[in-house]
Amino acid sequence: MLKNRVKELRARYGFTQSDLGKQVDVTRQTIAFIEKGEFSPSITLALKLAKALQTNINDLFWLEEDGGHEK
Amino acid sequence: MKNDFRMQYPLWMMGFIMVLGIFLFGVNSPETTEIVNTEIEQSILVEYGVIQGFVIVGSIILYLIMLFIFYMKIRRHNKLYPTQKIPSFAIRPPEYLEQDEGMTHITRIASQKVYTFMTWSLPALAVFAMFSPLPRIYTVLAILVVALLQYVIYYREIRAHLKEEDE
Repeated sequence: MLKNRVKELRARYGFTQSDLGKQVDVTRQTIAFIEKGEFSPSITLALKLAKALQTNINDLFWLEEDGGHEK
Repeated sequence: MKNDFRMQYPLWMMGFIMVLGIFLFGVNSPETTEIVNTEIEQSILVEYGVIQGFVIVGSIILYLIMLFIFYMKIRRHNKLYPTQKIPSFAIRPPEYLEQDEGMTHITRIASQKVYTFMTWSLPALAVFAMFSPLPRIYTVLAILVVALLQYVIYYREIRAHLKEEDE
């Protein structure tokens, strides 16, 4: 399963789901699905999110079976 | 999203199907049916009682009222969301929510559930139609039930994913 830090980083920058959605050109619901782990974004969207949240893609997304995420 | 007409669309379809079912019940329960088929006359006389007449006329009026409100809702939606216009007459169901990859994902899950339901319900319906000793009206009603259930499945799935939550 794909895990992520979208919610954490979004909160750090003070973005709402709508704000972040507008930045990466998706709906607020799509951001919510990603945060809840209901949906794995495409590489393009993942890269856009990493850029909007000023991080790299490996810090933003990782596979659960990789044994967790090291910050 | 709650006010997005495309999410309410399955509810409208369920409503239309139920009114059709009521109409079907009315026209299939006449008090008297007389068929004349002679060399000089071919006619069918169907006489409805007060209650059946009320059901038939009432369902037609209800259907027309719903159709008018439905049309106005489509117009309102198209005005509010000019980039996501719903055509009044389209083969593709307008309840699909596919403005981005996340929404497409939800539509896909809901469509898969409906398709799964159809793959077993249609053959079951065919068997029912072939072997049922019941009058034909029950086959038509069964078709309406299948049509209704597909919208119930679709709507429940979409609603489960799109519950509004605090950000």
